[in-house]
Amino acid sequence: MSVSLPLSVCLVMIVVVLSTLVESSDCKSLDICEKFKCFSPCVCIHLSLPAGDRLCSTEDCMPGTGVYLRHGYIYSSLAGYVLRKNEGEELPVISVVRETEAQLLPDVGAIVTCKVTCINPRFAKVHILYVGSTPLKDRFRGTIRKEDVRATEKDRVETYKSFRPGDIVLAKVISLGDVQSNYLLTTAENELGVVVAHSEAGAQMVSISSIFLFPSSQEP
Amino acid sequence: MAGLELLSDQGYRLDGRKAAELRKVQARMGVFAQADGSAYIEQGNTKALAVVYGPHEVRGSRSKTLHDRAVINCQYSMATFSTAERKRRPHGDRKSTEMSLHLKQTFEAAVLTNLYPRSQIDIYVKILQSDGGNYSACVNAATLAVVDAGIPMRDYVCACTAGFVDETPLADLCHAEESGGGTSLALALLPRGGHIALLQMDARLHQDHLETLMEAAMTACKGVSKVLDEVVRQHLQEVSALTGE
Repeated sequence: MSVSLPLSVCLVMIVVVLSTLVESSDCKSLDICEKFKCFSPCVCIHLSLPAGDRLCSTEDCMPGTGVYLRHGYIYSSLAGYVLRKNEGEELPVISVVRETEAQLLPDVGAIVTCKVTCINPRFAKVHILYVGSTPLKDRFRGTIRKEDVRATEKDRVETYKSFRPGDIVLAKVISLGDVQSNYLLTTAENELGVVVAHSEAGAQMVSISSIFLFPSSQEP
Repeated sequence: MAGLELLSDQGYRLDGRKAAELRKVQARMGVFAQADGSAYIEQGNTKALAVVYGPHEVRGSRSKTLHDRAVINCQYSMATFSTAERKRRPHGDRKSTEMSLHLKQTFEAAVLTNLYPRSQIDIYVKILQSDGGNYSACVNAATLAVVDAGIPMRDYVCACTAGFVDETPLADLCHAEESGGGTSLALALLPRGGHIALLQMDARLHQDHLETLMEAAMTACKGVSKVLDEVVRQHLQEVSALTGE
């Protein structure tokens, strides 16, 4: 939902709040919140400055994304909107968001969607396309080792029978890797593994169990 | 030319400015749509363009990857038409490599690189017209481009040059003043905390004058930071008006 206000009124309110914010150290005042569009009663949004604008002290709010801590104060590190969320009894979480999300990086424990590019008896190389549900602008490279393909019978895995180049795989990041290697991924969980595959003839394959895929037109 | 003095008796410089006066700074952000961040700045007659890509996976030699933070890759180049005589080697010469290294050091101090391990941020700067203060214009343009790309930074990085003539510090030197043979100090500052990211000086200066010169440079940088601040706020308001938030 968006409330349409004349731009001049918006600018005046923004200037007023910015001047009061700089002096006031109390971030919990809800009367400021009421002057602006709020998506919900506990979320307050207004313009922020990039890089070094002091938002509040760590006693009033907890830091979220887009901010950094220095000498007990929270400073903004991005140019965007300040978002303050009240979580209940805990301190409100303050973060700075932009309209266009900056590039996400795969982090340890994140579920990623990737495409297999190269198969090896010891591992499979993939290109990471999505992190969660956010598409990446640029492909990152990852590796699924033979022992990370499934949780049981790890020594009897054959990568040629588990993956084919071109398969779309849901995997989880277990390590960022060291200088020489790429992101290390695992598919050894129930919801992970190959989700879309095509047979050699080009037909779409369907999964008949959590382990095997067969082309839809063929009998298993 | 006879009688070409850098500071006249009435206190005016070659282009009519006072000693501590900066040149006119105009800047725009979001100049290119395909890059992650871009900015264009004009400081007097010096025009610079900066483009930022990233953070993305480390390309080229994989050995450059750092396991705990991002690698910042800067490239500085000058257009062949940027100087009075056509430039024969726009990039790859010693000056450009040194300038690229300085830019890299400056931005490694300001960008929060530990948020992006094992990735690379590219900053490309090109000088379109050179009239003194090349490094400063590059740093200011690159700051705006990094802000445009949404890469978190500790603070703006503002840069300015300062010189010393007749016991008076001059702020924001133009090409004639820089090549006049006097001292030229380039300072890159994080204005809010007063931290110096890079300090570089050419020619000789008596150590008694260093304090005054650095003070003048810092004041000039803070003036530049006010202008950059205005530009960023205006850009944010334009973007939010377009997206209707």
